[in-house]
Amino acid sequence: MRIVITRTGGFAGIERRAELDTDGRPDATHLEALAHRALAPGREPGPVRGVPDGFHYEIDVDGRSVHLADPHLTHEQRELIQTVLKEGA
Amino acid sequence: MDTVKSVFCTIVPPHILDALAQAEDPRHHEPARRTLEHDGALRTRRRVTPPALIHADPAGTLSDKPQRTIYDEQHQTTLPGTKVHGEGDHPSKDATVNRANAALGATFDFYLKVYGRHSIDGAGMPLNASVHYGEKYDNAFWDGSQMVFGDGDGELFGDFTVSVDVIGHELTHGVTQHTANLEYYGQSGALNESLSDVFGSLIKQYALGQTADQADWLIGQGLLGPTIHGVALRSMKAPGTAYDDPHLGKDPQPATMDDFVRTSRDNGGVHINSGIPNHAFYLLATALGGHAWERAGRIWYATLTGGELAADAGFADFARQTAATARALYGEGDAVQAVLKAWSRVGVATS
Repeated sequence: MRIVITRTGGFAGIERRAELDTDGRPDATHLEALAHRALAPGREPGPVRGVPDGFHYEIDVDGRSVHLADPHLTHEQRELIQTVLKEGA
Repeated sequence: MDTVKSVFCTIVPPHILDALAQAEDPRHHEPARRTLEHDGALRTRRRVTPPALIHADPAGTLSDKPQRTIYDEQHQTTLPGTKVHGEGDHPSKDATVNRANAALGATFDFYLKVYGRHSIDGAGMPLNASVHYGEKYDNAFWDGSQMVFGDGDGELFGDFTVSVDVIGHELTHGVTQHTANLEYYGQSGALNESLSDVFGSLIKQYALGQTADQADWLIGQGLLGPTIHGVALRSMKAPGTAYDDPHLGKDPQPATMDDFVRTSRDNGGVHINSGIPNHAFYLLATALGGHAWERAGRIWYATLTGGELAADAGFADFARQTAATARALYGEGDAVQAVLKAWSRVGVATS
């Protein structure tokens, strides 16, 4: 599974993008489960309203995407975003 | 954390901020008494009415002291976290808590003494801030009712409480929310951002007692990591020059409408195109000289809070209203001429 995270906005207004392929990773099952739940029905498909200076995130998983904004993230979404931005390329 | 703290130092030492927060310097509070501006309730006034100079607190029931509370997130993200500092408490052992507390005080002091405004909502709203939000979190934001600060990752960014203008910026989002409530998208969003930069910078200048030509006009000075090529996140004096770094990229801000950036990202480029009204304010403040919070800042403040600025106002709407405000406050003189010239130089029409 290919997970792409794009983070925009924030006080600095500096964009960050990272992608991670779960193939061969020891935590692949865990990350894929996080990604599936992030894309669960009911999530916003388009841009969401955030708060002033809050980060916006687009999570793209194998071509399907979801938009999220701080501070309204679940712990699981935050874990997924942190892992991909930190360990992805 | 410790390495971050040792690298970054405060722009305005907390003891100076605290001293200023307590000061009763007539130099500062006299213009404020003359100003006696107000806000919010006046939104229905007709467009032709000049900004009224009405005291926000005619009965004198609002406190002239802030009511601050600092919460520690302990790297979690469920707001607000654990209360660690209340108003009047002894300084914390945590420098981040003390910096946040001091800067909330400096911001409260600025709005009250310069513009006669009691806190963010003009009605004495308590000021709450949460620090140590998330893990290595590279951001600070206003969530609609309080401030939130990350510690930074220590490489690209340090602790977001190091810059008093960052804290002033966030709290000014609260002031905007309670007044013109500019929509956080496109040009109105860039105006919202710019007003936060303008008053964030003025709060720092006021705390340091600087005149327009002494100020650095930087936003987030001291916030960038030690190896980053840059001086700050934004420059009002020279938008687009704050940083140029392999990790962060180059400061994308335009200074004039010729370089206005059309994008759907960042809420339509709110942190990018804010460079244009930022630069207009810098040009006005330096043209008028002296303390920027006096005439230039007062024109901007009265325009923001006067009740006539629409939530979806664009740059030209704001520019026209600042000219009208300058005329109402100072008559047909150098102030209004400087306002018109400043907007003209950044390519925003005022007629």
